[in-house]
Amino acid sequence: MYRIALKMLFGDRAKYIGLVFGVAFSTLLINQQCGIFVGLISRAASVIDDTPEANIWVMDPGVKNLDTIFPLRDTELARVRGVPGVEWAVPYFKAMATVRTQTGELESALLIGADDNSLIGIPARCVLGDPFDLKRPDSVAVAKDAFGKVWRGEEISLGKTLELNDRRAVVVAVVEDLPKFTSSITFYTRYSQALQYTNNGRNQLSFILVKAAAANDPEAVARQIQAQTGLQALTSDQFRKKAIQYVIDNTGIPVSFATVIGLGIIVGVAVVGLMFNLFVLENLKHFAALKAIGIKNRRLLAMVLLQAAVVGLVGYALGLGAAATFFETAGRSPNFRGFYLPWQVAAASALVATFIMLLAALVALRRVLFVDAAIVFRG
Amino acid sequence: MPQSTSQPVASTPADASELAARCEGITKEFGSGQTRVQVLRGVNFSVRLGEMMFLVGPSGCGKTTLISVLAGLLTPNSGSLEVLGKSLNKLRGGRLVDFRAANIGFIFQQFNLLPTLTAAENAAVPLLGQYVSFGRAVKQAGEMLDRLGLQAHKHKYPSQLSGGQQQRVAIARSLVHSPRLVICDEPTASLDAETGQTVMKLLRELAVTPQRAVIVVTHDDRIYKYADRISSMIYGRIIDVTLQGGVASASALAGSPN
Repeated sequence: MYRIALKMLFGDRAKYIGLVFGVAFSTLLINQQCGIFVGLISRAASVIDDTPEANIWVMDPGVKNLDTIFPLRDTELARVRGVPGVEWAVPYFKAMATVRTQTGELESALLIGADDNSLIGIPARCVLGDPFDLKRPDSVAVAKDAFGKVWRGEEISLGKTLELNDRRAVVVAVVEDLPKFTSSITFYTRYSQALQYTNNGRNQLSFILVKAAAANDPEAVARQIQAQTGLQALTSDQFRKKAIQYVIDNTGIPVSFATVIGLGIIVGVAVVGLMFNLFVLENLKHFAALKAIGIKNRRLLAMVLLQAAVVGLVGYALGLGAAATFFETAGRSPNFRGFYLPWQVAAASALVATFIMLLAALVALRRVLFVDAAIVFRG
Repeated sequence: MPQSTSQPVASTPADASELAARCEGITKEFGSGQTRVQVLRGVNFSVRLGEMMFLVGPSGCGKTTLISVLAGLLTPNSGSLEVLGKSLNKLRGGRLVDFRAANIGFIFQQFNLLPTLTAAENAAVPLLGQYVSFGRAVKQAGEMLDRLGLQAHKHKYPSQLSGGQQQRVAIARSLVHSPRLVICDEPTASLDAETGQTVMKLLRELAVTPQRAVIVVTHDDRIYKYADRISSMIYGRIIDVTLQGGVASASALAGSPN
């Protein structure tokens, strides 16, 4: 009887395609939107992820995210270094700057200043040049994706000059970093050089990056720093969560994405539910005939569930494939870099597809189970 | 000469063991209160193994309800009903479905073939319902289609077959699992006169065996000659049973006003 159930399903090609499309569309929308959402909010913490050497971030007690910063006094660095359990502590500068592109247009850029000596804060992966050349005057490292935005259409190369906050800068290295939330162009330089570009004088310490000594728990060291200095000290993981939570709490992004995802589910339920119901309704006289012939309700139930399962499975596979193709294709564009399809999202969308098909099948099953087999004699 | 009897009528088999179906005092009502309709009003009826019994009468007289009760698709309000020696009143749920699947074959007015199955697959459905493997069921159904002259059409879909061919597929489906009672609802109603005769001839030849009874509900007096007996219904009662050769009498009743 299962083969008959499948033939009934595949035989009504228009409805089968419609049903599969409904599930696939829902799955695609859920996966694509969730993937973009996860990728987007992860950018709120990408500066932290680009600096894996440090496991504690020290900042002004009022700081809630990576973009709204109140500078610390330079002397705080020494105080932090004096806290037991701190292996090392280095300054970190972060500010927005204005860059003039090759065509004369102005772009907003993120300027990061790393410790002059250790260069901790510069992304580890260098695709061209040597980060230690940053020790030369007016030198900057540029993120690979940003290079194409400043020098459009040109191959990445060293020695390029540009105006950064109206000051000359020379590209000595091209690095690969994670995409940022607020800016698509990022320059890296030494801490002291960054101060010159921003021209703001002393006490411009955005963060202090700390590495807890090997034997010490970073959380305990962070608490110790907080207690001794009165500054806010968070482990990388805590700061990452806080920065992401700030975006979730203070922007319309989650609501916007949730709306689209919700619509995807509603459209899926509505389209698939109605179409599956229609499919069963049109086959109701055949189900009644099968009942009259002597097919038991539990086998009819299994037939309908099999039809629903096949639609769900094929639709889900197509939708997931389309979503994966989207991320694979779009991921090649710098604007979509870092967006991916988390397995948790794929698993959750499988549950949603199951829910949609179960709901559709349950509504339709009522008709099949309660259809009066005697209708077959009523013409 | 036609032989007629009047209600109450239980057709009179010599031996109860020869009976395919017997009902006594069957009543069936639909609705309740002011919308209550009594469709069967104490039907006494029997059909013997080896005979083809026609059930005739005007529209709304209760023929369809009676065959639905005989098939176990509807439960009567009162009366006793015995089919192939089993009291259907005592069979419920799965046991009733199993009994129907094993013992009763159906031919419907609208054929009720699944449009997405081939002729052979359609004819195989009752076997599949009894857990026969797909390949074996289709092979067996194919052999039945051969006997019905549909050798060349086994792999065609219903939409590729004429009305007569579709009804022959339906006959194959009703017989493929060797049921002992076949119930036909207006088997020629959707067919032209010539095709109707062909289908009835085939049905008569293949379905009627000493171990099987066939009940045919029909309005079509052109096929009465294929009946062994004709039971006429009016107002939910069987009012006349005409033995073989009683075509004229039954025709008159079938055409009589309500």
